[in-house]
Amino acid sequence: MRNRATTPLSKPKLRQSWSKYNLFNLQRLRNPPTGSKTFFQQKWTAKSMARSYHGEQVRESQWARMFSRRIRSVVPMSPARLAQDDGSGMSAGRGAGVEGTKDFPRLTPFTQMTFAPLERRLDVAIFRAMFASSARQARQFVVHGAVTVNGKQMRYPGYLLNPGDLFQVDPERVMYATGAPKDKHERREGRIARKRSAEAQEAEAEAKEEGATEESGENKEAESEEQGQKKENDDPRETLKVLLAQAKTIMAGSKDVLPAKRKQELRGFQKAVKRVLSRSDSSTVLADNLESQFSELITLLKAKPAEKKDNKRPKRDQSSDETQNVSESASESATASESQPGEALTEAFRQAAENPEEEVDTSELTDEELDVLKRALVQMRDNPIDSTKPYATPWRPRDYMSAFAFIPRYLEVNHNICAAVYLRHPVARPGYSEVPTPFGEPVGTAAFAWYLRRR
Amino acid sequence: MPPRVQNQLVTNTLLPYLSSSSTSTSTISKIPTQCSSSSITSTSRRTCRPFSSTVASQTKLRNEMFTWLNGEGAALKNHIPGSTNYLTQIKERDEQPVGRTRPFPLNQNFVSESILSEELRNEIYDRVVNQKKSVRAVSVDLGVDMRRVGAVVRLVELEKRQKQQGKSLALPYARAIHEMVPTTPLYEDTRDNRNRPHESINDLPVHKLTDPQIFYPVSESRQFNRVDAGRVFSAAPALENKQVNDAADPAEAVSRITQNPSHIEKVGKGEAEQQVLQPADARIPHPHLVAHERFRQSRPTEYREIFKAYNERLRQEETAEKERKRLAKERQDQQLTKVQPESSRFEFRFKDVVVSKETTGTDGRGSKAPGLRYGVPSYERKKGQVKIPTRVEV
Repeated sequence: MRNRATTPLSKPKLRQSWSKYNLFNLQRLRNPPTGSKTFFQQKWTAKSMARSYHGEQVRESQWARMFSRRIRSVVPMSPARLAQDDGSGMSAGRGAGVEGTKDFPRLTPFTQMTFAPLERRLDVAIFRAMFASSARQARQFVVHGAVTVNGKQMRYPGYLLNPGDLFQVDPERVMYATGAPKDKHERREGRIARKRSAEAQEAEAEAKEEGATEESGENKEAESEEQGQKKENDDPRETLKVLLAQAKTIMAGSKDVLPAKRKQELRGFQKAVKRVLSRSDSSTVLADNLESQFSELITLLKAKPAEKKDNKRPKRDQSSDETQNVSESASESATASESQPGEALTEAFRQAAENPEEEVDTSELTDEELDVLKRALVQMRDNPIDSTKPYATPWRPRDYMSAFAFIPRYLEVNHNICAAVYLRHPVARPGYSEVPTPFGEPVGTAAFAWYLRRR
Repeated sequence: MPPRVQNQLVTNTLLPYLSSSSTSTSTISKIPTQCSSSSITSTSRRTCRPFSSTVASQTKLRNEMFTWLNGEGAALKNHIPGSTNYLTQIKERDEQPVGRTRPFPLNQNFVSESILSEELRNEIYDRVVNQKKSVRAVSVDLGVDMRRVGAVVRLVELEKRQKQQGKSLALPYARAIHEMVPTTPLYEDTRDNRNRPHESINDLPVHKLTDPQIFYPVSESRQFNRVDAGRVFSAAPALENKQVNDAADPAEAVSRITQNPSHIEKVGKGEAEQQVLQPADARIPHPHLVAHERFRQSRPTEYREIFKAYNERLRQEETAEKERKRLAKERQDQQLTKVQPESSRFEFRFKDVVVSKETTGTDGRGSKAPGLRYGVPSYERKKGQVKIPTRVEV
């Protein structure tokens, strides 16, 4: 289906979309003039305005069949009031109550619910659950097979959800749809990474052909030996401290910091974490799984504050004895990591080696600091820098998303797994309607009147 | 559609990045700047680019849009963690709390309602799955609709399964959404969740029968209550005196209805047969709360008694519900014959065909009955048949 859902600036039309064009159009939306218009004209304009937003992907005849003049509504009841009277007071006297009703309930906006049947559609529901940045994109997700309903793949965007249906979208697609796009540098990085991985695969294939199993075994041994040495050499407390400092800068990062700089910090932190892990882990298998890596690191950290006091003596001795080694390793890491935070880390190593007395008393970790570090690590793990992703990493919401961010009550959404349950059909209640529509009451009423087919 | 960049701006921003030594770049950068100075005097933009056949890239509307986006609209670009950031706040400058929850400036009736916070969601799951509390009890205690409680349990279960399987989660995305959208917290004292509920848990659906306005004269001396009104709406005869006396204990009458919904009185004949419209006390999702309130209002100080009675009522309701479900399942199993051949993945389910006026019709050609019948064409493969499934069975 050709995408006719454009967002032109002249003759503006509102769409189910989070684009900034749409936001601008929404900003200058006014109720259509009615003064010099016939009733038919008023209804026509209202209907065409509303239809360009509600289900523009649905043919008019199809929608006309879906339209229902009976609109679902509910009245919230208070058990206390129901207990107090049996309703006879309302009909007392001449039928309207003896004293007359004091508080008029708010009117139920029935006509704002004209397009409620369209909210049942799978593509619209995906858009409403904030899994896609527009209804058209949601439709594409469905057609491309990224959506399941009750665990089964559903390829029809026009599937009408039944109450209790659970639909789920592939989280990667959702991250792509709602995340900020890559800029050209990131795209380039992605290309390079892809090329590298392809080359690595080729090399691997060649190596396999040659059958160099023995060599790899040797390498592993050498690696583990190196790790063992390093473990002895470096003071884990110093590393922890630097990690903490970096974590603090990351967590405290405000918006005015340049994204490039922030990214650099993040990358340095990532590298530092990796270095710690490579030291603490003896097994190389753990290097693949990020989850277990993280848990390993956490256990390492948790052990830290507890055994802090016992360790003081031997640690200092070690560091003073093996100054040479530490500085060596520091220089190594400096060459390996070219980013500044990595250098800061090595600098810290060197400092620790040179004057150990100063470092000991400052390395006390408060719970708060530990928490900060933990959170930074969590963020690192959940939101890594990965140039192979189709969105800008670390993930951040796309621009102008918050202006469209709402989740209607007829859906229960779990954003972690990008799944949602369609609880019930949308209903109107006194003062509120559940169908998200940008148009005011005049447009809603006129559109409703149009579909009553008494023109 | 990417924003088309303005010529003048581009040269200005590019200047520092271009090497000044090369002559070509300097000439390139010079021409537009000269033009920009001359364009102030000249009216048309075309004069700026004398050798270009393309029309000017920026229309007036585009200019307006980018001015707005860089000016007023810049506030909407990034979200404010912990609060909503809607267009209405910019449009209506007075700092009303109402404007903070309305995403659409023109629509007064749509508000962005809060979603469950992570803690509240986990609490619901914990209570239902680990503490084995009933959905009804959890719904009342935490102020969350029963359907939502069920959905939350399903979703959290699914999340746990996905975590176990090591599937990727969209955690940064979820965090961002929870920062943008209002959330209902889990209060430290969970009684606050009951007092300040997430949503109205006692929504009475408006029944179709109550749509028309009915003029029904009654004598002034008569107590015309909700039960009578329901009977009038469904055109049922008025209750006799004896039955009215029976309904003196309203809590008992309501629980009799809600716990045996199949015994509700019916009116009408044939296809028009329908149940008599019940009063709101019986049709709300938590009818036991009305009885609880009545009990509490009659004994305002006996807290322990009230608590005990409430639990008893809840228990009764739950057992009745369980019993009803069991019976329904039994009935369904009776109608269905299940056959699973050995060494087969499939289970075949057979249902007896009912030949009656309702299914096959009087002439045996009714469309509702299953199977191929002589003389009844199947439109299955005909053009225009909609093949979109209407339901997905788990």
